[in-house]
Amino acid sequence: MGQCLRHQMHWEDLEEYQALTFLTRNEILCIHDTFLKLCPPGKYYKEATLTTDQVRSLPALRVNPFRDRICKVFSHNDVFSFEDVLGMASVFSEQACPSLKIEYAFRIYDFNENGFIDEEDLQRIVLRLLNSDDVSEDLLTDLTNHVLNESDLDNDNMLSFSEFEHAMAKSPDFMNSFRIHFWGF
Amino acid sequence: MSESSASALPPGRRSRQPFIHPENLSLDSSGFSSPPVNFLQELPSYRSIARRRTTILSRDKQSGTLLKPTDSYSSQLEGGITENLNSQSIRKYALNISEKRRLRNIQETQMKYLSEWDQWKRYSSKSWKRFIGKAREMTTHLELWREDIRSIEGKFGTGIQSYFSFLRFLVLLNLVIFLIIFMLVLLPVLLTKYNITNSTFVVIPSQDTDVQCTVYPISSSGLIYFYSYVIDLLSGTGFLEETCLFYGHYTIDGVKFQNFTYDLPLAYLLSTIAYLALSLLWIVKRSVEGFKINLIRSEEHFQSYCNKIFAGWDFCITNRGMADLKHSSLRYELRADLEEERIRQKIAERTSEETIRIYSLRLFLNCIVLAVLAACFYAIYRATIFSQEHMKKEIDKMVFGENLLILYLPSIVITLANFITPMIFAKIIHYEDYSPGFEIRLTILRCVFMRLATICVLVFTLGSKITSCDNYSCELCGYNQKLYPCWETQVGQEMYKLMIFDLIIILAVTLFVDFPRKHVTNQFPGEMLLVTYCSSWKLIQCWGQQEFAIPDNVLGIVYGQTICWIGAFFSPLLPAIATLKFIIIFYVKEMSLLYTCRPSPRQFRASNSNFFFLLVLLIGLCLAIIPLTISMARISSSKACGPFTNFNTTWEVVPKTVSTFPSSLQSLVYGVTSEAFAVPFFMIICLIMFYFIALAGAHKRVVVQLREQLSLESRDKRYLIQKLTEAQKDIKNRLDWQ
Repeated sequence: MGQCLRHQMHWEDLEEYQALTFLTRNEILCIHDTFLKLCPPGKYYKEATLTTDQVRSLPALRVNPFRDRICKVFSHNDVFSFEDVLGMASVFSEQACPSLKIEYAFRIYDFNENGFIDEEDLQRIVLRLLNSDDVSEDLLTDLTNHVLNESDLDNDNMLSFSEFEHAMAKSPDFMNSFRIHFWGF
Repeated sequence: MSESSASALPPGRRSRQPFIHPENLSLDSSGFSSPPVNFLQELPSYRSIARRRTTILSRDKQSGTLLKPTDSYSSQLEGGITENLNSQSIRKYALNISEKRRLRNIQETQMKYLSEWDQWKRYSSKSWKRFIGKAREMTTHLELWREDIRSIEGKFGTGIQSYFSFLRFLVLLNLVIFLIIFMLVLLPVLLTKYNITNSTFVVIPSQDTDVQCTVYPISSSGLIYFYSYVIDLLSGTGFLEETCLFYGHYTIDGVKFQNFTYDLPLAYLLSTIAYLALSLLWIVKRSVEGFKINLIRSEEHFQSYCNKIFAGWDFCITNRGMADLKHSSLRYELRADLEEERIRQKIAERTSEETIRIYSLRLFLNCIVLAVLAACFYAIYRATIFSQEHMKKEIDKMVFGENLLILYLPSIVITLANFITPMIFAKIIHYEDYSPGFEIRLTILRCVFMRLATICVLVFTLGSKITSCDNYSCELCGYNQKLYPCWETQVGQEMYKLMIFDLIIILAVTLFVDFPRKHVTNQFPGEMLLVTYCSSWKLIQCWGQQEFAIPDNVLGIVYGQTICWIGAFFSPLLPAIATLKFIIIFYVKEMSLLYTCRPSPRQFRASNSNFFFLLVLLIGLCLAIIPLTISMARISSSKACGPFTNFNTTWEVVPKTVSTFPSSLQSLVYGVTSEAFAVPFFMIICLIMFYFIALAGAHKRVVVQLREQLSLESRDKRYLIQKLTEAQKDIKNRLDWQ
């Protein structure tokens, strides 16, 4: 993780952030350091904000196909305050509990934000994952149908949160893959 | 879901109803539109789940229609949360930090109204949790190679990272095994050597057994050529034979402390049992998570689509190249899965003639596989016998290279067999017409069996040579004392040679094949195009840039670990050598990966891999226990060396120790190990197992019924929503008319 500067953060603030997030002390200080490097100089870190573009071009998120959704879910009014960044890092840290990750994964994958993951959302997820230009309609519908067959329990062509939660609890790769290391850059 | 995959939908499940599209139901633009999604959001079930998720203080979004409660509703929900503040810690709520801060303040003001006892309880539980958190943070710093593995994960994904985590696990396992052996066996020996304690040495019996059994010729120390030291180092003979590396050195019978005598033979045996039991428990503990998941998943397809789509992307990837590779591997994987579905459908539609033809072809090909295995085993058998017979000749009668070749002949034959047979198996399996996923699994299974069985064949060959004496059974000493005066040491030497040769081969392949290959590929970039164009030609692939083949690498290190388990009884320092060997392999493989390899497009999933690695390791452990039990319980221990000269077999130490216990304890031990106890115990265990199997079957049936009911309820719900919307429409029209 490297040496992180420890200036400009009070001890009480650090303790409070440790109690309210899943991050360790070192991780919080590293994020603080990265934040200070990116935000306009001279501002107190609690008042400074980063734009969505700045966060989207962080090394940790640069190649992520869902980076725009991540930024949308965790930002307020399209800007990131320091606490927003901390909250985002906390959800994606290794120590976060599964229920928190599942909750935010649902929000990220819900592209049209209607509280359900429907077929349109699923098709957009698949397109982002495959990232190629020649994806046939058949492939998309096949995959969408398979996903809904497996996890749509009440047969309404949409995944509600409880169905998504049930599917992710059974998924063995979810906890391992839903992790981002924001520090060390 | 049932396992039949003939149709795209499992039978018994209603076919998917086309959902009533919102546009059909939306009304005129006077603001009374009620799309069903909004309806669904107002249902009590949705709201109670939302309350559980605590998405109360949603953000101000113009377009989003996430739950937007009114003020009174939000305070109601907040009240709901504050009731449960005791049970959940604040971190787990899905809120942003300022809202969590508010909740924390509410919680703290609440605390003032509690009694003293409750306050103290809350405070102590919080500080205990904080202490645990800090301790966990400390221990993660101690984790070996944390940074290396994390960077590998970022660059190459979780599949390859799981291989390196597995390697780290084996390093730790071997270190702990060595510590056990050190504490139980080596430490008393060292204490005696430096005269810190007194000890009695083993008395070589001269009455019961023939004096011939106790002859142990030590190699003559005349004029020794220099290269004999090198040979000794590589094969464990000569000056190494008498060190504490091998079994023969341990001749202490008891170490006298102040109050009691430490029985070294018993400790030696117990250390073996202890490290086997520890390995078994640790592996089972680590594989429990993977096993539980596999049990859940066994209802459905082996790797579910939900898992691949929602958890398919490794969010920790930071490298552009790796991201492209991940995209392409996802494309490959998803297409392959759909292809596999289609093939399974085709298989289900086979006619009976075709089925008979395929099965007879498979039988024939399996016979070929068995023939190949038998040929390899026979080759190993002959090589071992040849090597053992010619090893007894004097060193100076042979040339250096020839000597080394004879010594290492079994290892060389094993390595060659393990190199050739996977290629043969890969060719054969094409004709057997299985689905692609099953093909991969069966090939890996065959290679695993091949690798681990070769060690067993070697050990059994040695065992048969040790217990056979010139056409008649060895009545004199129980073993062939002319050729093997100290047979445990010699078995230990074979294991030592296998381990050293394995390390040399891995280093040689990495340094002399992978690095130059990358160099060659860099010189001729056109070849890369050839590789990508004809990627199905395995020969061309051999010459292209090396792929990091996870199964082969894993089998290599499981092979090394099995040798260590078998050899640790005969050569107590072998686990320490294995630890060093795995550390060297870690760094060599890491360098090789970073500088020469490109990861395979066919990715291994991490969750699946962990379970697979530990399963293979468990098979290796079981195969290692068999020769150990036979040599401990059946073959007489050598009378010329080692701590067990006073006993017939190694296992005899235990009955002799039990007979020194007080009589009540003795009768207890005899009772527990008798048949009168074992048979009823076994029957009770069987009954309990049948009960659990029946329970699991009943649960599965209930789950199927509940799913049916759920889809029926959902149909009712949609029907009612449709009716309600139509009724609202009617009323609106009637109002407009008036």
